[in-house]
Parts: sequence; C-alpha cells; structure tokens
Amino acid sequence: MSHVSIRHGWKAVALVGVMSLGLAACGNGSSSGEGGDSGGELKIGASLPLTGDFSEPGSAAKQGYEVWQTLTNEGDGLLGKKVDLVIKDDASNQNTIVSDYNALISQDNVDLLLGTFSSLLNLPASSVAEKNRMLYVEPAGGSPDMFNRGYKYLFFAQQATADKQGLVFADWVKNLPADQRPKTAAYPTLDDPFAAPNVDGIRQVLEGAGIKTVYKTTYAIDTKNYDSIVAAMKSANPDLVVHGATFEDGVGLTRAMLKSGWTPKMFYETSTPSFADQYSKAVGEENTEGVMYAVSYTPEADTPGNKEFVAQYKKMFGTDIPPEDAADAYAAAQVMQAAVEAVGSIDDQLALADWLRDHPVDTILGQLSWDDTGAPQSDFLIGQWQNGTAEVVLPPDVATADPEVGWHPGS
Amino acid sequence: MTELVQTIVLSLLVGGIYALVASGLTLIFGVMRVINIAHGAFLILGAFISYTVWNQLGLDPLVGVVITTPIVFGLGWLIYRLLVRPIRHAPMSSTVLLTFGLALVLEGLMGEIWGNDSHSVRPSYVDSSFHVGGVFLPKAQVYGGVLAVVVLGVLWLILTKTWLGRAIRAAAANPASAQLVGIKVTSVAAVVFGLGVAAAGAGGAITGVLYPFLPGSHYLWIARLLAIVVLGGLGSIEGAVVSALIFGFAETVTAVYVSPAWATAVPYAIVFAVLLIRPQGLLGTRLRDDAVTA
Repeated sequence: MSHVSIRHGWKAVALVGVMSLGLAACGNGSSSGEGGDSGGELKIGASLPLTGDFSEPGSAAKQGYEVWQTLTNEGDGLLGKKVDLVIKDDASNQNTIVSDYNALISQDNVDLLLGTFSSLLNLPASSVAEKNRMLYVEPAGGSPDMFNRGYKYLFFAQQATADKQGLVFADWVKNLPADQRPKTAAYPTLDDPFAAPNVDGIRQVLEGAGIKTVYKTTYAIDTKNYDSIVAAMKSANPDLVVHGATFEDGVGLTRAMLKSGWTPKMFYETSTPSFADQYSKAVGEENTEGVMYAVSYTPEADTPGNKEFVAQYKKMFGTDIPPEDAADAYAAAQVMQAAVEAVGSIDDQLALADWLRDHPVDTILGQLSWDDTGAPQSDFLIGQWQNGTAEVVLPPDVATADPEVGWHPGS
Repeated sequence: MTELVQTIVLSLLVGGIYALVASGLTLIFGVMRVINIAHGAFLILGAFISYTVWNQLGLDPLVGVVITTPIVFGLGWLIYRLLVRPIRHAPMSSTVLLTFGLALVLEGLMGEIWGNDSHSVRPSYVDSSFHVGGVFLPKAQVYGGVLAVVVLGVLWLILTKTWLGRAIRAAAANPASAQLVGIKVTSVAAVVFGLGVAAAGAGGAITGVLYPFLPGSHYLWIARLLAIVVLGGLGSIEGAVVSALIFGFAETVTAVYVSPAWATAVPYAIVFAVLLIRPQGLLGTRLRDDAVTA
C-alpha cells in the first residue's frame, strides 16, 4: 500500500512541478511590488498578450513598459512616487482581457491603466476602462472602430489611426513621375480591424489618382496557403502590391511570391517589415530590398527621450534596436505620465483626458496630439528596407534615407 | 487547365502534410480514446527543435527529422507515463482538460526556452520551385510532402507489419481481450502516445520550413487537425489521410476559384455536411455506444 502511495506521490509532485513551471512561464500576472496597499507607490496595471497569437508584440510591449518603469523610478518617479507595474497575461483572448482589466481595477486596485496590444483586444479592454472612468492610453489599436464609440478616456499613442497610416506612402506614389508610377495595383489583406482599413485607405487614394485596382481580396487569420492568392495576383500582374498583414501572413505571402517566380515592381506591406531582423531572417535579407511599410518609430529618431530609451533598452534586453512595439508601449506610458504630471493628481481621470485633448505631448515617436475621440492627428512614418537596413524614407523632414522606387528581391 | 493542375498539385502537397500530423492525433484517439488537445503544441515543439538542430548543427531541417522525431517521441512517452496514464480511464472531458492544460504548459515552456518572437527556418531551397510546363512546384513543399509520405509509410509499416503494430491494433479493437492474450495495454498505450506526438513532431519539422512559427501558433493548428480527424472518422488513420487530402483540396480550390476569404470556412462546411450524413465520419466505425445513443 505504501508502495502505491509513493508512486502516486512522486507523480503528483512532478505534475504540480510541471504545471507550476508552465504557469510561471505563461506569466499569469506579475508585479514588482507587494500588492494590496500601494503606500508610497503608484500601481499601474495592464494586461498584455504574453501568450497566444499576439504574444510577439505583447512581449515587446511588456519590455517597453518595463523600460519606462525603470527610467521613471530612477528619476523622480510619478507624482513623487515610485511606479509599480502590474502586468497580466490575457493569452490573446478577448474574454480574458475583460476579466483581467476588471481584476486590475477591482482586485489589484491599480491607480492607473495602460493599454494592451491589437485593436482586437483594445476594443473590449477600453470599454472596461471607460465604464470605470479611468484614463486608457493604448500603444496599439489603430482601427477606426476604436474611435467612433464616443469614448472620453481613450487615447491612441501613435501618430495616426490605421486608415491613415499609409496615406504618406499613397501620396508619394501618386506624385511619382509618370514613367515610375504604377498603373495597376493589387490589395490582398488579412481580415483584421487594423490591417484592412490600412489597405483601404491607400486604395482609395490610389484609385482616385487613376491607379487601377486589378485584384482585391480578404483572407482569414488561419490561412496557411498563400500560393493560391499569389497565383491569382500573378494572373492579374499588378505593378504594385499593397498587402495588409500582421507577421506570419506577411512572410507567407512574400515567400509564396518568391516561390512562384513572380514579384510585383513595387511592394508595400503593413506591420511585417517593421519586425527588424525577425523579418529579414524570415524572408531572407536579400529579398527585403525596396519593400516599403508604415512604421511609428525608428531607433535613430532625434525625439525627446529616445536616446535614454534606447540606452536603457540595451541595458535591460541586450540590443540597441528596440522593436517598434516596445517603443509604442514606452510612448503610451510617456503620454499617460505627461497628463498625470500636468494635472498633478490622478483622482479625477476625466481631467487627465481633457488635458490630453487640449495639449500635444512629446514622445519618442515625436509630438502626438488627439482629436475629441482620442484619435491621433499626426503623419505616420514610412519605412523602406535598403541594403539590409530598415530606413525611414518619408516624410522627408524625419527621413534617414531617400525613398527608392521598386522592390528588388534577390539583390 | 494549367491553373487547375497547379491547384490540384498544391492542394495535394498541403494535404499530405496535414495527413501526417492528423494521423498521430487519430492514432492516439483510436487506441486510448484520448482527444489530445496538445497535439498542435507538439507540432510547434517539433518545429522549434528542428529550428535548433538547423541553427546549431547546420543540418537540413527536413533531414533533421531523424533527430526531432525521437526527441518528441521520448517526451510524449514520458508525458503519457506521468500525466495521461493516471487519468486514462477518467471521463473523456478530463483528458480533454488535461491535454488543454498540457498545451498551455508546453506553450509557456517554449516561450521560456525560445522566446515569444517569431522563428523561421530557411534552408537554401525555401524560395525556389521546380517548373514543369506552366506549373510551379515549390521545392520546400515538394520535399516536405515527400517526407510526410515517407513518415506515413513508416507508420503504416509499423502498424501492419510488426508485432508492436498488431499489439496496437489489438489494444485499439478490444483492450480487455488484448490484455488476456498477454499484451501489456498500458505499455502499448505509452508507445502509441509517443508515436502519435512524434508524427506531430515530424510534421512540425516540415511546417517549420513552410511557415514562421511562435509558441502561440499551436492554436491555429488544433482546430484544423480536429476537424480533419472528425471528418475522417475518429481513430481511423486511413480516414485521416483521405480527410486531410479533402481538406487541403477544399482550401486550395476555394481560395483559387471562389475567394481566399472563404478558404478556411468551406472545409468546415464540408465536415458539417458529411457528419450530417455519416456521423461516424468518412471511414470511422460506428460503435455500439453510438448506436445506442442514436
């Protein structure tokens, strides 16, 4: 009998051990503080997709928030208090994120909130913040649908909403000399509240400029086979492909084009090419030359606090090329910090929101300002891969290189 | 005509890889009546191990399947002994819950080991194709498809030509009788679980070459795999193979001739329609329990 008990005992220990490791690895809520009474600390809560489909940007966002926490605490803190981040893992799930933000407010008793990643998750999370009358600055979530709900506490800490992020690119294409300007274009896009409006915004401008749409389609998030989309595009043979993508689908479509032996003269893609070396490793550095994309941040930017951010990021995470998503999260925290410091109190968070509506804020992404809905009012940056490096090529006043016409895979 | 041939060839290549991964899932169910929700996580684990083998040893990821598969087999065997076996005779909902928890644990561990960023395996042939007439055959898909057929063939040989295979089939058909004739059903089940997840691991080595992956990618696989094995008939490897080819064909044809927007929905509609006519799936066997319920 004792033999049986021992056998079951070590299995139970092993099971508990493995489960504990897994749960720890899943990051099911972490805080650098003790919790409960915040005392001399300000507790700031966020739930991020640290596991699941959006774990990649979610993990980068966590890094951005942690860099901001470190730099703030090394300085004067916020309102003279140290900041304590409480970060939960929503597992990229819309239901979990609602319970996470409710728990942050009612159980963790956080003083302030920061947003999560993707429009898909920010849509429900921002509703929780609005209902609880708490300021909600989001580092991502550029879908226009975010800002047509009449919310008062929501602010997007990037330069423009998704439908406007490609407009600088579209204007540049529209104004190219006639012999360089594409005559036809294709618009495949992921069915996603961020990617689809981004592509639609560009299409409307280019169609208005007489660039004929020869192919347009939307595909589901679990699409694995991009060969058929490429086969259809190959038949239509557009000069320009504008692809609404996140990451895996962006790599999948690019690889499918390369495999088919057909590539367009120009190639613009949302999000995917902004993933620095992850992108160049995935599609091959030799295939990146000339690919264009919208981007909110460049590590070389001469913006307030950027040098400190890059240096601290390197110190904490070992590279001086922070991912765009980490920078966006840092900027969201900067926006929240600016409002809190200007108002001098967090008791009335509508006052924080009103202040943001009336004042621009300097961030590492540049100066941000918002309309009454919390939608940002600036120009997005346009990046281009040149000689294996991601450069900012538009607008001219912040460009690190001149834009070049054409995608040249294999060069 | 060229477009149709191209479509059929691409669908067969995709379907062959689906078949390999789904065969492991249906094998586990056939012998143990365990629906392994962690199967997609084992696939991604196979992709990560393959990535490490390719990155550290410089070995072609498809050749590296000879390293990846035994590692995943060993892990599967161990997990069965530690976690699945104690609740094997519990209601099916318990094993579903356990394997779902296992998927989350594996995802978390993979995130700790390899990070939550996207990984890609790029052997030299990844962007090139064979061109036959007007048809292009992506080399990575062709090699992956051939490897899937080879692994499936080895699995078939094990199941039909070896004593172990006979023991597995006997344990699947009637565990009590198998026990009576001297087959250690528990040991057989451990090997089956190992073989099942090893098939997923081999599939991961192939899909890792075809698509970028991160620990959370397993969610995108498990729904598709479950639909394939249900369409084929739970427990039927032949059914899983036929069903996987139908799935790949339906996805590809819909994307080309209807719209990519419907490409992932149409195969599920087919599953729904088939189950209305044949609730046991294409090649599944109707069990006494099903007849009683019906």
